[in-house]
Amino acid sequence: MASFFGWLRSNSEHYLLVAAHQKFARTRGTPAPRPPKGLKEIFWLKVFVPVYGVLPWSLRSTIMRAMPGSHRRTWAPPPRSQGPAV
Amino acid sequence: MPRKTVIIGGGAAGLGSAGGVKAADPDAEVVVYTAYEDVAYSPCGIPYVHGGEIPDFERLFLAGKQAYVDAGIDIRYETEVTAIDTTAKTVTVAGEGAVGYDNLIIATGFDYADPGVPGGELGGLYYVKNIRQAMEWDKVIAGTKRAVVVEAGPLGLEMVTALAHRGVETHLIDPHPYALATMADPDIMAPVEESWRELGVHLHFNTTLEAFLGDGNGQVRAVQTSEGEIAAELVVVATHKTPSNALAAAAGLKLGSTGGIIVDGQMATSAPYVWAAGDVTEIPHGLTRTPLQGLTGSHAYAQGKTAGTNAGGGTRAYRAVYVPWGTPAGKWVIGGASFGEVTATALGIPYVKGEAQGISRARYYPGVQPVRVKLLAEPGTLRLIGAQMVGGGEGIKERADFLAQAIRFGMTLHDLSSMENVYSPAIGALNEPIAVAATNGVAAAAKQG
Repeated sequence: MASFFGWLRSNSEHYLLVAAHQKFARTRGTPAPRPPKGLKEIFWLKVFVPVYGVLPWSLRSTIMRAMPGSHRRTWAPPPRSQGPAV
Repeated sequence: MPRKTVIIGGGAAGLGSAGGVKAADPDAEVVVYTAYEDVAYSPCGIPYVHGGEIPDFERLFLAGKQAYVDAGIDIRYETEVTAIDTTAKTVTVAGEGAVGYDNLIIATGFDYADPGVPGGELGGLYYVKNIRQAMEWDKVIAGTKRAVVVEAGPLGLEMVTALAHRGVETHLIDPHPYALATMADPDIMAPVEESWRELGVHLHFNTTLEAFLGDGNGQVRAVQTSEGEIAAELVVVATHKTPSNALAAAAGLKLGSTGGIIVDGQMATSAPYVWAAGDVTEIPHGLTRTPLQGLTGSHAYAQGKTAGTNAGGGTRAYRAVYVPWGTPAGKWVIGGASFGEVTATALGIPYVKGEAQGISRARYYPGVQPVRVKLLAEPGTLRLIGAQMVGGGEGIKERADFLAQAIRFGMTLHDLSSMENVYSPAIGALNEPIAVAATNGVAAAAKQG
């Protein structure tokens, strides 16, 4: 199961980053990533990224926090809580 | 009978753990197994010896072997641990067999991600990690005319600069559109890339490694990339860090989505009497709580101290991280904390931004350097969520450390815009760039309504 979440995380992280690079290239003229090639890249960039983009942050955060990981174990609270920052 | 703690790994996390155990329980028996010939040196310093900034490798050693003997820490060099049995509370050690423990700390560190291309067995592929090997590779670099660095991550940045300083014709290949693109913003990296070009470095972005090509005698002669072939006698493989988790996985310890061992704030794993620390673990980010793996040596050492203290019967907590970072790159120093604009955009986190171009000392004082600061804050509250900087070097590290604490303690752009700062011509300018950036951020937020 951890390997599935590893696969999901590494792909989603990578393609969300590529989409962010594309956005910066469009809006600020920074270097653009290469165009997507193949069905896999087209799926992640044309389907996954837009779907992620329309989800509210609270839902995205809930999904991310539902994944197995160190964040689900006990950690000391932030030193001065002022509510969620993001 | 003293309690016995076995530590697997002799890097920053492993040695931090050993010290932590001894601090909590001076009578504890502590055995450290390392696959290497040495412990207690700074692998992070290796690129700077290659680059000539540090004159020799000996300076990277922090303590001699006798220091650990004197401290009552039994280090078994060049000794591999091949298995862990958390039920029997034993580790299997090459040449020793099954060795019992009361407490176990796993600090096995990282491996470079497998490039996954043909030719990985060729000679001339350098994975920067071990100091004894680095000493030999330094001789190779001395005779190298052309080199390729694979991937522009933190180590790749350091090695590109080091090789250029050594007069090697250096090519950097990276699949992203600019350097350090997984964590830094393009405007922060632009001056770095320009300075590399001035040093004669050839930059190949949006370029994917496809194969290492051999010369017929087992040595690399070139790399095949998506954009063509690049001849090279030396290839520095600086792919991203992955957790060296094979032992932990085989022992049934729970791993997270990063592949790192799942730990809590005590650095305890999912198995009783087993702790873990360093690059083999994953640690939650302080804002998003998303676990991160592959942090810095200072994180590894502090985690080791925590694991060791708790394994030794003491109490110590490690906390979620806000990731202050910094590194020289080309003729610049870059740094930051938490998010940059690109990572915030990728995650879909909204932000307002304040930027300032400042200076490190009084404008008239010799040695004054530029300092560019960019701050990101949550819209509305203007609570700081990230920062990135580029400058001549002075104060980037200290600002990154400070800004990570500012994020951790929930400071806002209002707080930072009214911060006090040291003014002394030789060490600080009248206007602190952080305060100016924060003031600009407050103004930008007001304009956005």
